[in-house]
Amino acid sequence: MDLAVQRVLRPGSFEEAVRVMAEHPHALPIAGGTDLVVQLRDGRRAADVLVDLSGAGLAFITARNGVVEIGGATTMDAIANSREIRDACPALAAASRLVGAWPIQCRATLGGNLANASPAADTAPPLLVAEASVHLVSADGDRRIQLSELFSGPGETCLRPGELIRSIMIPTQHLQRTVREGFAKVGPRWEQIISVASLAHRFELDADGSIREARVAVGSVAPTPVRARAAEQFLAGKPPTAAVRREAARHLQDDISPIDDVRAPAWYRRVAVSVLLDRALTEAADG
Amino acid sequence: MGSVTVSLVLNGEQRTFEVPAGRRLLDLLRDDAGLTGTKEGCGAGECGACTVLLNGLPVPSCLVLAASCEGADVVTVEGLGGDRPLHPLQRAMVERGGVQCGFCTPGVVTTGAALLEHGITEPLEQGRRLAGNLCRCTGYSKIFEALQAAAREPGDD
Ligand code: FES
Ligand code: FES
Repeated sequence: MDLAVQRVLRPGSFEEAVRVMAEHPHALPIAGGTDLVVQLRDGRRAADVLVDLSGAGLAFITARNGVVEIGGATTMDAIANSREIRDACPALAAASRLVGAWPIQCRATLGGNLANASPAADTAPPLLVAEASVHLVSADGDRRIQLSELFSGPGETCLRPGELIRSIMIPTQHLQRTVREGFAKVGPRWEQIISVASLAHRFELDADGSIREARVAVGSVAPTPVRARAAEQFLAGKPPTAAVRREAARHLQDDISPIDDVRAPAWYRRVAVSVLLDRALTEAADG
Repeated sequence: MGSVTVSLVLNGEQRTFEVPAGRRLLDLLRDDAGLTGTKEGCGAGECGACTVLLNGLPVPSCLVLAASCEGADVVTVEGLGGDRPLHPLQRAMVERGGVQCGFCTPGVVTTGAALLEHGITEPLEQGRRLAGNLCRCTGYSKIFEALQAAAREPGDD
């Protein structure tokens, strides 16, 4: 069945894409389309004009000056395969391999996953933990914001009309530190699911195995993916013992506000995300 | 509805189509190119029946806008064997009973052929990569046997 769109514009460069977006303020940009095509088909979104970003040169990964930059139209598959990303943010590489199944990963893009702003977006918790920033460009100029500022609610972002996600920037890590990082999600099965709860963590460890700095971000348990600041603050300076793990899970409950929906009740999400934190801490303790 | 022109290499042949702006690659293949091997199961990216190779990688053609395939290389189940009548995986699927009703098969063999092309032969990893291709009939064992057999085949390129 054809989608109810009148025109698809296909800019051949990023500059042209920005111009075309300014000329068509109600147009929707489309990259991989794995979310948007279904939304258009089901009438959850509508647009007369689509701006296809395949020719806009936004599929790239570069590493320089302590920053890994990922173009907005880079696919999950390319991210999962990238050595630079596996070094700078292993949790993102892991999460990219858990978005849908492989054919989806070969099509879905990072910019699309973020712009769609699902509370369950799997790439968001790893990027929040990495304190990634986002480069936004419109005909009026460009700005760089923290990823945490991008999400304003379920399906909602602070993107202005005509603004495009050009790239996502991740600071690279100091190799001399001992860091445990990972991503895990819970759902009815391993692949091809929308997360019921997800968690990314980055623990920097001291020589004695206690946690110098904890960064934790969670998905599907709040209106947007969020950092778990209460749990993080509690964990800083503590060894990941069984008692600390239990107490951390209690603090985590203050960071989240899950809801009941078709995929899971709120209480289950609370339990599931606690289990994910407990596992991450146990693994950190085991080295 | 406006229309768009899409020029692409389809199963090794340069082709140009004039299609409605909102056409999906799946419908271009089935309705405009007459290649009905590619199937529509869910139309939502969940079943894998519509999988084709886009620039060498498997994608759900039900989620791909035809207009965004300008200049792309697309291979469907009909073109998978290239010059040969059948791709080694297609032959192995037939020989080992990996096909029952056949509805999932075009998607399974395109994803599977990409797995072999990328040298992914470890069974657990093959299972993960094929998890988006649902099959109601075979129970998957025969499909994995066929993948292993095709991977062993000497000089299949
Ligand atoms: S028809 Fe495309 S994934 Fe089901
Ligand atoms: S053979 Fe029938 S669905 Fe797979």
